[in-house]
Amino acid sequence: MTKRELILGIETSCDETAAAVVANGHDVLSNVVSSQIDIHARYGGVVPEVASRAHVEMMTPVIAQAMVEAGVDKDDIDAIACTVGPGLIGSLLIGVSSAKALSLVWDKPFVAVNHLEAHLYSSFLEEPDLELPVVVLLVSGGHTMLILMEGHGQYRLLGQTLDDAAGEAYDKVARYLGLGYPGGPIIDKMAMDGDPHAITFPRAMVKDGYDFSFSGLKTSVVNYVRKNPDVADVDVAASFQEAVVDVLLTKARRAVKEFGATGLCLAGGVAANSSLRERTLDLAIEDGINGFVPSRSMCTDNAAMIAAAGWWRYHSDGPASLDHGADSSLRFPSYA
Amino acid sequence: MLILGIESATSQVGVAVGGHEGVLASAHSARDRRHAENLTPQIRFVCEQARVELSEIGCVAVDIGPGLFTGLRVGIASAMAVAHGLGVPMIGVSSLDLGAFAVEHSRRLIVPCYDARRGEVFAAQYRSVPGGVQRVSDPTVATPDELAAELMAMSEDILMVGDGSERYRDVFGTISHIEFAGTSLQYPSARSLVELSHPKALREEFVAPNEIVPMYLRLPDAEINWKTRASA
Ligand SMILES: [Zn+2]
Repeated sequence: MTKRELILGIETSCDETAAAVVANGHDVLSNVVSSQIDIHARYGGVVPEVASRAHVEMMTPVIAQAMVEAGVDKDDIDAIACTVGPGLIGSLLIGVSSAKALSLVWDKPFVAVNHLEAHLYSSFLEEPDLELPVVVLLVSGGHTMLILMEGHGQYRLLGQTLDDAAGEAYDKVARYLGLGYPGGPIIDKMAMDGDPHAITFPRAMVKDGYDFSFSGLKTSVVNYVRKNPDVADVDVAASFQEAVVDVLLTKARRAVKEFGATGLCLAGGVAANSSLRERTLDLAIEDGINGFVPSRSMCTDNAAMIAAAGWWRYHSDGPASLDHGADSSLRFPSYA
Repeated sequence: MLILGIESATSQVGVAVGGHEGVLASAHSARDRRHAENLTPQIRFVCEQARVELSEIGCVAVDIGPGLFTGLRVGIASAMAVAHGLGVPMIGVSSLDLGAFAVEHSRRLIVPCYDARRGEVFAAQYRSVPGGVQRVSDPTVATPDELAAELMAMSEDILMVGDGSERYRDVFGTISHIEFAGTSLQYPSARSLVELSHPKALREEFVAPNEIVPMYLRLPDAEINWKTRASA
């Protein structure tokens, strides 16, 4: 048996302060997430300055807790991996500064991790032997990407959103309907009591290419509710969700076929959506492919996925320099 | 006891290490506000220059502000991580204290004043006392005009220090009883931080890393708007 390598992962790209200890890229020893959702809810969205302040407060206790829960101390850690982008710059800098400082005083390699790449690794945490190539549908509040993962570090970005991210569309529709924040879980819950076929919202660009567009959908929801003020909110929620999931899965399914992938993986916060999860598993059975849906806690931002991606990056690229900074618009490492 | 001082409240970022022998080594950089990139390498460099092993550090002192939020937090987060990582306590010192300490022997009323951006400055008033300086007013954030009006009304001679007093020299310079410490002292320094923290360390005025509270003096805009809306 090979040596067990422990990575301490740190994540602060948006509104979660997170730290985790993961062995060999998949064995999660601890996964601590301090969410700021309650702090930002009253503002109807993440406020960068508020997020940065909370990260400073929570970072050290969260790291300490991740170490305690994993039952390890600094001597057991082999490297420290941290999200360096993309994300909110003021938030990213808290994690990067803390990770580099710890890396210096503990004399451990510092590994720079791309947050988007890390989302792909949430699948490997629960399915380490996942057979490649797979198509990954990465959907969150900030991103909607369809990716062909051919090997570790080998990705082809097939398509992405041209305007709003899927999660953003959820938030905007929820705000318009006066449902609160964050929109995803609220609409998901309401949709369970509604009729997904009550209203036929448009499926933008569903036939062409792999890019997405959600801003038109949001507009047609607004227009519909304006013209039909008596419509049941639950039906609007269910029909809106149906349109989003239809577009996402139609394209993902087509990509799996075109590129001969063995399966379809979900990743990102919106992958916690019940309808998206159910329908992914259904289509996998129908098409005879592997459908992989990480547990909800691994879909939303967490540091276990950072540690997992960090383990692979450490083995392929080695450590990063201690003068590394954060990059709010860091791009997904795709070769096409 | 060896103290590691980390300071990043203004356009400058600095690190110093020292103890009862005084400051053993220090480094400061002020180009392009690369606080996050520069800070960790500076800690390593300063310790190497002082021939100090990180494990010999007995306490981490940090400038808690007021200052420019993003840079300030880089220093505070790094300092907390170093202290936590080494298992040592911390000392938090205000940037305004550091500014006043740099001119501690002045017999004038000392007013450190740092650029807060958005047409405002951070400031407070200090007096020289045996063994250091004593703050005699609450730290505030104000427009240069507001601060100038307050200082103009005072009868005693004043010494202003800090990049805020330099940037708004046209405003403060018209007041005859104000003198300026000049650009060489315009930023709080990590050297001053270590010097000022040494007596505190001897008195064991420590806090745990998670007890360090940044001095922002300004609420986030969103919070201000929310409170205005809530009270309307
Ligand atoms: Zn994410």
